[in-house]
Amino acid sequence: MIPRQVVWGVGAAAVALGATLAVTLFATLDSREEAAAATVALLLVGGSFVVAGLHAWRRRPGNRVGPLMIATGFSWLVAGFVEAREPLPFSIGYVAGALPFAFVVHLLLAYPTGRLRSRLARVVVVAAYVVTTVGSLSVSLFVREVDGLDDQPRNLLLVADEPGLADALETAATLTGVALVLLATGLLARRWLAATPVERRGLAPLLGTGALFLAALAVTLTADQLSGDSLALGILGAIAMLLFLAVPYAYLIGLLGSRASRATAVGELVQRLSEAGSRGSLRDAIAAALGDPELDLVFRRPDRDEWVDAGGRRVSLARAGLGRAITPIARDGETIGAIVHHRGLTEERELLANTAAAAALALDNDRLAAALRARVAELQESRANIVSCGLSERRRLERDLHDGAQQRLVALSLQVNLAADKLHDDPATAATLLDRARDELRHALEELRELARGIHPAILTDHGLDAAVGALAGRSPVPVQVRPLPSERLPSPVEAVAYFVVAESLTNVAKYARARQAEVRVERADGRAIVEVRDDGVGGASVERGTGLRGLADRVEALDGHLNIRSEPGEGTIVRAEIPCASS
Amino acid sequence: MATAATTVLIVDDHPSFRATARLLLEVEGYDVIGEAEDGEKAIVAAGELRPDLVLLDVNLPDIDGFAVARRITGEEAAPAVILTSSRDSSDFGTAVTRSGARGFISKADLSGASLAELLG
Repeated sequence: MIPRQVVWGVGAAAVALGATLAVTLFATLDSREEAAAATVALLLVGGSFVVAGLHAWRRRPGNRVGPLMIATGFSWLVAGFVEAREPLPFSIGYVAGALPFAFVVHLLLAYPTGRLRSRLARVVVVAAYVVTTVGSLSVSLFVREVDGLDDQPRNLLLVADEPGLADALETAATLTGVALVLLATGLLARRWLAATPVERRGLAPLLGTGALFLAALAVTLTADQLSGDSLALGILGAIAMLLFLAVPYAYLIGLLGSRASRATAVGELVQRLSEAGSRGSLRDAIAAALGDPELDLVFRRPDRDEWVDAGGRRVSLARAGLGRAITPIARDGETIGAIVHHRGLTEERELLANTAAAAALALDNDRLAAALRARVAELQESRANIVSCGLSERRRLERDLHDGAQQRLVALSLQVNLAADKLHDDPATAATLLDRARDELRHALEELRELARGIHPAILTDHGLDAAVGALAGRSPVPVQVRPLPSERLPSPVEAVAYFVVAESLTNVAKYARARQAEVRVERADGRAIVEVRDDGVGGASVERGTGLRGLADRVEALDGHLNIRSEPGEGTIVRAEIPCASS
Repeated sequence: MATAATTVLIVDDHPSFRATARLLLEVEGYDVIGEAEDGEKAIVAAGELRPDLVLLDVNLPDIDGFAVARRITGEEAAPAVILTSSRDSSDFGTAVTRSGARGFISKADLSGASLAELLG
């Protein structure tokens, strides 16, 4: 917010400058009519820029468009002193004569953001300031008589009367000016082509007027160098001046236009959204309202920190793409979606905010549909994973049986055969063989027990999760603290999955975590069973790495639950499963 | 039974089976001159030790036992190869006969007599 005093101060300064100009002109010009005509023309142009500039500045304090328009107006008033017939005001006005054009080139190229968008634009603006200051000053050092001025006052800046040098300097400055003006016109055309349709509605008046003004200025400056026809030059000059005068009004019209187009855009959006029956996709409606056909609408899933598109596919907002920007859609303080749009639209903050607000009202259906599709995709994926997980578990079982118990039993069978053969001839060898056979049998039994426990632990079925988790903790080589478990039994599928979450997590702790201790917590809250295993080890675990946690996640998701793993390197690991579990 | 003891190389990745088979064969008058725990070591040992018989497990950790059999029996003056496994011969179809091995004995049926029968 620009303080009121500043606005009034700038306005007062402009009035004072205008009044000084008027007094000077009336005091020094012989003809009152001439003085009146010059004063009115100068004050009209200068005043229009200052007033429009102040309006722009108050509206967007951080935007340079306002100050640039004010500067154009002030410099125009200062340049007006060239009309005076007194050496001091004339000399000041003569030197400042071209400066307003530099400001207006800067203004046009920086519109509407106030920032110059490219390196070339910055070069053009800097060159324009240099030509209109250094160029004018150097000409005025060597010119005694300016062409086309009758009863010209003395030029106070004159150092040496060198008409040839002054002409050459003026021609160079003018031609450079023409080149800069043409470059600026090209940059405006490029800006126009890069704009979205909604942006164009706001840009059209000022960019159009500005481009016409620059073209007229280029023609006038060129003609001034080539032709001596003062009537033609006068007409060209008048056209250029009228277009110059039109610039601040075009700015105000553009402001109204873009306000109206924004209001129209949001109005159309609201209307399209309210036509529930014939409604196309919400995305299409927003794309039309913002005039960005490439626009994407993404939804935040209600139950987790994840973004999906309308098809339910997971998307990453971090990879929105070059030239795209993101505007969140929020309702009741909660972010429920986001619009991924053309970066140029970020300037249209109000439009985006209004669109996002309108979209928030209509988002529910699309968002729920997207969440549902994401859920279906997840279920399909986890179903496929469970099938393949089942197959690989069977392969592992076959392998374990073959390498373990089966080998033991083979050896056992051979030893018993051999012992039977030796029983009469060599009882001592037979006894040794039977000892070995007993060992093999013991090992085979242990391995079978271990295997059976991996398939489904009998202790869980018979004595519940508390006892089963206690047994897992007891077998773990890393000390495990088990928090008191719920006293009532959980539904058996939930119990089984909870058991495997603890079993797999503790196996991982023992194998990889290099932890000093671990803790197991099983709770029942809000219709969910929460299973948490945490350790103080090295961290770095993830579902993506290794099949163990992926398999667990699939088992948990099969019960509509969610497995969450926090495992920053060096900060231990927390495996947390939330499984829906209605009270039985 | 041969007058000079038949020399045997036992190839199996399970130490308990190798130990039991060695004991059983030695008791039955065979001369176990080496053991190998995988396919590559088996092929090297067969070349160096020149045994009369290689008792070769089908499921080895590196190369499939059938491939090992083909490599060993492809050499000149190759030893007899007898495949063995804790699985049944019906699990392997015709792979046994195509491997160049003399035959197959399930591990549980291993004995001097069953080997002698296959060796002929």
